[in-house]
Amino acid sequence: MVEWRLQRLPSAGTGAALGARIAAVLLALGVAAVALVLAGQNPFALAAQVIRATFGSTFGLEDLGLLLIPLLLTGLSVAVGQQIGVWNIGAEGQFYIGAFAAAAVGLFLPGSAALILPLMFVAGAVGGMFWILVPTLARAYAGVNELITTLLLNFVAALLVYYVATGPWRERGGVSNSATARIPAEIPEFWGLVHWGLPAGVLMALGFAALLAYSRWGYEVRFAGSNAKAARYAGMPVRRHLVTVMLLSGMIAGIGGMLEIAGTVHRLQGGISNNFGYLGIMVAVLARNSCLGVIASAAFMAVILNAGIVLQTQGLTSATVLAITGLILFLTAVGDEVSHYRIVRGKV
Amino acid sequence: MNDLSKNSRAAPGTPPLVLLKGIAKYFPGVVANEDVDLEVMPGEIHALLGENGAGKSTLMNILTGIYRADAGEIIIDGYRVDFSSPLDAIAAGIGMVHQHFKLVQAFTVAENIHLGWQETPWRASTRKLEARTAELARSFNLPVRPDAFVSELSTGEQQRVEILRVLARKARALILDEPTAVLTPAEARELFKALHAFRDGGNSVIFISHKLEEVLEISDRITILRGGRRVATERAADCNPRMLARLMVGRDIVLSDMRRRPKGAAPVTAEPVLRLEGVSAMANDGSTTLSNITLGVHGGEILGIAGVAGNGQRELSHVLAGLLAPSSGRILIDGTPVERFDPARFAALGIGHIPEDRLASGLAPALSITQNAVLREYGKPPVSQGGLYRPDAAYRLSLEIAKAASVTVPDFSMPIRNLSGGNQQRLVARREMRIARKALVAAYPSRGLDVGAINIMLKYIAELRDQGAGIIFISEDLEELISLSDRIAVLYEGKIMGVVENRDIDMDEIGLLMGGRQRAMVAA
Repeated sequence: MVEWRLQRLPSAGTGAALGARIAAVLLALGVAAVALVLAGQNPFALAAQVIRATFGSTFGLEDLGLLLIPLLLTGLSVAVGQQIGVWNIGAEGQFYIGAFAAAAVGLFLPGSAALILPLMFVAGAVGGMFWILVPTLARAYAGVNELITTLLLNFVAALLVYYVATGPWRERGGVSNSATARIPAEIPEFWGLVHWGLPAGVLMALGFAALLAYSRWGYEVRFAGSNAKAARYAGMPVRRHLVTVMLLSGMIAGIGGMLEIAGTVHRLQGGISNNFGYLGIMVAVLARNSCLGVIASAAFMAVILNAGIVLQTQGLTSATVLAITGLILFLTAVGDEVSHYRIVRGKV
Repeated sequence: MNDLSKNSRAAPGTPPLVLLKGIAKYFPGVVANEDVDLEVMPGEIHALLGENGAGKSTLMNILTGIYRADAGEIIIDGYRVDFSSPLDAIAAGIGMVHQHFKLVQAFTVAENIHLGWQETPWRASTRKLEARTAELARSFNLPVRPDAFVSELSTGEQQRVEILRVLARKARALILDEPTAVLTPAEARELFKALHAFRDGGNSVIFISHKLEEVLEISDRITILRGGRRVATERAADCNPRMLARLMVGRDIVLSDMRRRPKGAAPVTAEPVLRLEGVSAMANDGSTTLSNITLGVHGGEILGIAGVAGNGQRELSHVLAGLLAPSSGRILIDGTPVERFDPARFAALGIGHIPEDRLASGLAPALSITQNAVLREYGKPPVSQGGLYRPDAAYRLSLEIAKAASVTVPDFSMPIRNLSGGNQQRLVARREMRIARKALVAAYPSRGLDVGAINIMLKYIAELRDQGAGIIFISEDLEELISLSDRIAVLYEGKIMGVVENRDIDMDEIGLLMGGRQRAMVAA
């Protein structure tokens, strides 16, 4: 008698992993299609609409590019933190503060764009680092779990930005009552509406990937992240690396906020982070914390978000869109696990 | 097979509690078990002895319903059974305590006992579960604290919880996989007492081990497996360690005297290469764990450290490797006092360190074999130049280390946790020996290894000695210490009780030193 059995492999093959992910996306879309049919919609028409609106027009591709930039930066922020075993749930808050600090420079310092933009960049980076400083020190010196501290600071940052955008920094007599005036210094565009923040973000991802793979520092960070006790046994400065990596993680998210302000939105407003910080966690998880993988998973996430926006214009509620997004991520996670198994045929 | 039962204490005519007949199990390319018979009578402690990979675990996985045998039958109380899942085996009274405990760390003892148990009451309050647990603990005479979280318990206590968990499910045959590997000698004695009580109640114990001495001490009969087959079943009273070792590995390899130097071996240096002068150290909780230790090892010499585990061995090895700064006293490497207590600095000065818990503190289990192999040399050429890390050079170095350790690695980028414990230990040993130009601190290097692998490990250490390094060899195994060390220092409650030259060694004296009392010999 021949029996089919499942066998778990210690590590998944690349082909199997990729196949499982594609299958997961298709399956999620299939489930979504069934749900849409039940809701009286035509899934094929909607899919055609989404594809047309996303890839079929310059406008759609530009939107995609603009969504990609913040996702890339927040995803990279979380992935970098994970190298040393830290969950930076606070990319959202660091993004806000990066935007806040960059806006402060852009709004209140006079000067040409060539002078102000670099200053805004530095302000965004420092702002992000500042926002993760307390969680970093608490984790490094008192062992306080960074999950809680970074998460809670998100709310402080969001409310702070909300307050200045609707209060003291509000544009008097402007069109809306909930945003600052337009910041004069702008990152130039290189293709339609897509500005140079995109290549800058990709470059940062490549840079961090190279730094981690080809530097002594990167080796030490990855080792300390995997087993801090063994890293101490080998004499690595574990605490110093922890502090550096957490600050870098905050810095990247802060730069994300700066790029959003100076390249895409041009005004500081409440909700400017648009959940990019939280979506960055998803991006990093999908990329399995690989800095190169972040580029691909951020693009994937951008397509999903963009499709969501299109679907909303077609009368689907945002809750439905969110559910489909969640389904894709959930099934991808399942697929990742499933790709560890193979079916073997054995005699009983 | 026919004359086995006459040695049992069960009444004549009683069928064996467990009878395995002609069990075979094949994995792709591997014969895990073939034609294995095993008979365990009620009221018997039956040891299953064999090297790593001899098929002990597979056989027990078949008996507990985790695997299905490819051939042969399982007979419980005289009736043929067919286990299609572990639940069937539990229902038949077969319970197993695995080497790596399967407890939920964040749950209390009472919660763990009741987890996944049919008899757990539907409406279970904390108080009810704890009362039931206390009652079970009393009836089986296994003292546990029902309200304690598992993460707070010592390994010995966790093992008691595991055993109680199995016994609560009415197991009559208790399978223990290497139960003493994680225990202190005192905890092991407690365990043996509990096992004797369990056996005397007419139950059976199957005791898996590769430690010869303890198998002789605890068991009534011994079945030896080799290469997946049963080689012999003997009464423990008829056995001695030498014969068991021979049966186990198929050749006569009882630990030889390794003190004799081959031609061309480096001479013992006049001055010590690594020396402690009046060193005291504190544990994390502020208690003194080493007090006023003065000790030195010369190049080309092996200094054994004997003593019951927990008497300061961990702190001693940490101080010697630069992981722990002494609270007073000095450390001299090659006659120069060390100013900075940094393990990387010690490594650079030529001190290697095989840590006692290799998986927890010597390796990053999730990282690749290459990344783990280069841990001691990543900071210098060829693996890194300036700040640059070169993966290709790292790969070449790990290839070299794996070759020296005779470990066949199919894929150097796979996580090192996929390797067996013995292979991990060999890689760590070779990695440390490469940097140990002056001295090697080896803490329990043969712990968890089988007889064959222990011999290889000890040979490695003797080789390093012959190259001129000084070796501090910490072990609990007196036999191993005596076969290898030139001098033996005895550690007791953080103090050196005395240093004995191996040529006038006196076991009784060492025993006395180890505990200040005659009884300490038992613990050794």
